[in-house]
Amino acid sequence: MNAIGRFLQMVTFPELLKGMAITTKYLAKPKVTESYPDARPVLPYRTKGRLHVEIETCISCRMCEKACPEGCIRVYPPPKEVFKTDKRPAEFYLNQEHCLHCGLCVDPCPTGSIHHSQEFELAVVHYDDLLFDKETLPYDLDQKRFRWNLLENVPVKK
Amino acid sequence: MSRLARSAGNRGSTPREAKRAMTYEVLLNTVGWPLAKIVVLLAAVLTVVAYIGWFERRLLGLFQSRLGPNRVGPLGLLQPVADGLKLFLKEDIVPLNARPFLFKLAPVFAFFPAFLGFAVVSWALPWATPSGRHHGFVVADVDLGILLVLAVSSLGIFGIILGGWSSGSKYPLMGSLRSASQMLAYEIPLTLSVIAVILLGGSFRLSDIVAAQQKLGAYFILPGLLAFGVYLISAVAETNRVPFDLPEGESEIIGFHTEYSGMRFGFFFVAEYANMVLISVIAASLFLGGYDLPGVDDAALYAAHPNLASALGVFAFAAKSALFAYFYVWIRATFPRYRYDQLLRIGWVVLLPIALANVALVALLKLWLLR
Ligand code: SF4
Ligand code: SF4
Repeated sequence: MNAIGRFLQMVTFPELLKGMAITTKYLAKPKVTESYPDARPVLPYRTKGRLHVEIETCISCRMCEKACPEGCIRVYPPPKEVFKTDKRPAEFYLNQEHCLHCGLCVDPCPTGSIHHSQEFELAVVHYDDLLFDKETLPYDLDQKRFRWNLLENVPVKK
Repeated sequence: MSRLARSAGNRGSTPREAKRAMTYEVLLNTVGWPLAKIVVLLAAVLTVVAYIGWFERRLLGLFQSRLGPNRVGPLGLLQPVADGLKLFLKEDIVPLNARPFLFKLAPVFAFFPAFLGFAVVSWALPWATPSGRHHGFVVADVDLGILLVLAVSSLGIFGIILGGWSSGSKYPLMGSLRSASQMLAYEIPLTLSVIAVILLGGSFRLSDIVAAQQKLGAYFILPGLLAFGVYLISAVAETNRVPFDLPEGESEIIGFHTEYSGMRFGFFFVAEYANMVLISVIAASLFLGGYDLPGVDDAALYAAHPNLASALGVFAFAAKSALFAYFYVWIRATFPRYRYDQLLRIGWVVLLPIALANVALVALLKLWLLR
């Protein structure tokens, strides 16, 4: 009896049909694939993308420079006379080549001028393009893009 | 007699010219038309084989909550072209330990039997030309068509065994040994399930089997339901597809074509898909009435518009075969692979008794009900 029952189960294979029903269910379900270059992915709020620096609010205190374990930030304060009235940095460099996206520079900033953006497409054509400066660092929040443009002449810092 | 021969006669030709016209006619019928049909069929089958790969990958993706290849061309329709180009451009490596001649011969051995079976498949009712001739939609409508299909599809296994052995490496050899043991498992149930259909149809000729289904008014899937089940399962094993892809072992184990690269691997690949198409096509003609249009009186339609009936028949056939292709992808998306002792067990303990009982059942059915 047991043998016959087992044979019947082998012949009618209920579990196989169940499996096939499951795959059919998944056929009808929405797909999880993101068509990346066509459709921009929706990133989490706290994505640690490339650093964004709000030059207008920066007070050249160099806290971020000291906090960075890689030493990839360089802040050049303006001359003393200027600094009394206008504290914006004369030059601000970020060496993207070494940046770990660790976020240690974000925490000490007293004005909240430096933080991670949503930018994750960090490939560049030229080695020198990895060095960002005052002009190329700010991230255009409306455009969801850096103002830095491949087609325009990218400034090369020596 | 063709128009040519007749017009030759009208012009009051000499016997010599008439003879030449006759020779021309004979040559056309024995060489010309078959060759033309072979070229058209081969082109069609190769296209279908290329796109069944795309079809499978897209469908498999959908089954697995992915999209599948959709980047090359619209909907990824140029993917087969890209794949083919890639395979052609890859380096062709012959391992040092391999037996070069056999190593190079093996893909051909796998490739040709896969395409040979298509020769006897009857695709539609004959096409009527204005001159009153009928061209069958078949390259060779031989009496023992289905036997030929069974025979050549078993031949494909030689390519696999040869490929595994001549690679001169142990893993391909093991893969091809698994393939041999697999053949033991499925070949007999497969043949027995086909025998049930042959009993029902009363012929080995595929067009006759379809005609018998049309005459019966029901597809053989109804009286031969068990045979259909056995055929489906053993056909998967025959085509070396998941869950019976023991020779290949795509996902984990290493298979018979481990040492192959480039287009030689491509030949095995194409042969596998060609086998899948062939098995679907044969299943459609054996169990689903082939080119019979469901719900339409084919004989009446053919008498009224023969060419319309033929053309529609091809589409009906394609649709029915596509059902099987879908089924094969479906089970590939669902099941993991069986071990080869499990496959042997399924073959000998489950399928064989069912197939045998079914042959007896169908014989009795034929004796009493379907005379
Ligand atoms: S994220 Fe880390 S490594 Fe990058 S600049 Fe800030 S502190 Fe330096
Ligand atoms: S810590 Fe903030 S305010 Fe200070 S230099 Fe860096 S970005 Fe500017």
